[in-house]
Amino acid sequence: MIRLVRAELTKLASTRLVYGTAAVMAAFAVLTVAANISDRQGAPPLSADSLPMLVGGPVTLLSGAALLLGILGMAGEFRHHTITQTFLVTPDRGRVVAAKLVAYPLAGIGLALTILTFTAAVAAGRLAAKGITPSLLDARLARIVGVALLGAGLCGLLGVGVGALVRNQVAALVGVLVWVAVVEGLLMTLLNDPGLGRWLPSAAAAALTNPGGGQLSRLAGTLLLAGYALALALAGTRLVVRRDIT
Amino acid sequence: MAVITIEGLTKRFGEVVAVDDLSFEVDQGTVVGFLGPNGAGKTTTLRTLLGLVTPTTGTARIDGRPYRALADPIRHVGALLEASSFHPGRSARNHLRVVATAAGLPLDRADQVLDQVGLAGAARRRVGGFSLGMRQRLGLATALLGDPRVLVLDEPANGLDPQGVHWLRGFLRQLADQGRTVLVSSHVLAEVAQTVDQVVIIAGGRLVTQSTLASLTARTDQQVRVRTPQAEALRSLLAAQGIQADPDGLDQLIAAGTTTEAVGTAAAAAGIVLYEMIAERSNLEDVFLQLTSQQGAHS
Repeated sequence: MIRLVRAELTKLASTRLVYGTAAVMAAFAVLTVAANISDRQGAPPLSADSLPMLVGGPVTLLSGAALLLGILGMAGEFRHHTITQTFLVTPDRGRVVAAKLVAYPLAGIGLALTILTFTAAVAAGRLAAKGITPSLLDARLARIVGVALLGAGLCGLLGVGVGALVRNQVAALVGVLVWVAVVEGLLMTLLNDPGLGRWLPSAAAAALTNPGGGQLSRLAGTLLLAGYALALALAGTRLVVRRDIT
Repeated sequence: MAVITIEGLTKRFGEVVAVDDLSFEVDQGTVVGFLGPNGAGKTTTLRTLLGLVTPTTGTARIDGRPYRALADPIRHVGALLEASSFHPGRSARNHLRVVATAAGLPLDRADQVLDQVGLAGAARRRVGGFSLGMRQRLGLATALLGDPRVLVLDEPANGLDPQGVHWLRGFLRQLADQGRTVLVSSHVLAEVAQTVDQVVIIAGGRLVTQSTLASLTARTDQQVRVRTPQAEALRSLLAAQGIQADPDGLDQLIAAGTTTEAVGTAAAAAGIVLYEMIAERSNLEDVFLQLTSQQGAHS
């Protein structure tokens, strides 16, 4: 199993996708830090405690990036027909999906850690330029980083699940966008009940960053998201195992 | 001993019967050409053999086991399927390293097999920029990665230029000389005729014949092409001996079912001048076409 996970990470590291994603994330991080440090009126006052706020900028987008990598990592194999070679090496298809379910959360966490470190360095540098020495030993900072890593890991897992179930890369990406932008909003309105609405995937994700207050607790949100991911992956695996690879 | 055993294999895709009750065996150490026109069911059969397609009924086994039950599949069986199954953004070496990692093979095998197929110079190039011939070579390199005793190659000559086909023939011969069992499919008999010991011919998903190449060759007719200024005299002379000869142009005859010895002796006895005489075989390809079209008409 370890060698399959390593093979998945080698696949990811040997194409440009992950580097391009990281570059976009890094650029976004620089922009958010710059926007939050602007001197215009009404901008939040900066202090030694500003670092968590600045580092928190790219957190949501990082989860999106991890989701994207997971979807492309699974559905992309069907798109490029590389699934044939993958299944020739590992005819036990369930193990292939399982390896991806381990590799993509790791990749998401790795990407998040890299970007957050980069963001923190940029933010600390900008604060230092203003004569502020930020504190790195900050419980809020640790919490933001922890939540970001958790979210990226879960979204990597979720992406693999979606990719296994849908397999058509474009349909999977469009489907996720439509789900988040339209379907969940509609469901939320139809259910008209925050008690039920909080069980939707987006709400579970929101519970990670902003738990309590009508939302689930962070632990419940984590378990629920992981549950969604595994349910999708299981259903997807059942389809993938039976499917003829022609 | 049979290494590959296809038994009563049938595969339906909806209404379409791709493979229809197909049975054949491939013995250890032989090179078998798996032939048939496009759409005959070759690829479906090979994909079933490799555990990628689930048969409707029947079995396809390698050393007595389905591919999915092999302990170490790519060390056991090397496979080349379609030439397009590479990620275009990945380099040739990295493609092989991914496979080697998943199979637990040493990473330097990647460079060894690239060298073997003559792609060492392109190791770091992205596959997206490869020609079809280079992709076929990379596919062969992938098949060889685990140094398997059995090779299953689906249309390896597709997209190769004449030099490439020549190279492939030598390459297959080399694999055979190393004692490997090779099942190689093609829709062009000539591509593999110089390399294979046996042929399995299918059409319309059904077996047409399994035979040695020699016995297939025996089905071809020998004929003699003669160039002579006395074509008509020679024609009637041969006709008198029961040999049919048809004129081909002004000064040529094609005598069927005979030998150069017979024609030469007859001509000398009658004092007929010969300028040129060639023994010809009706093309193996013709036999192949004839066999496969008959079957096609049945189904």
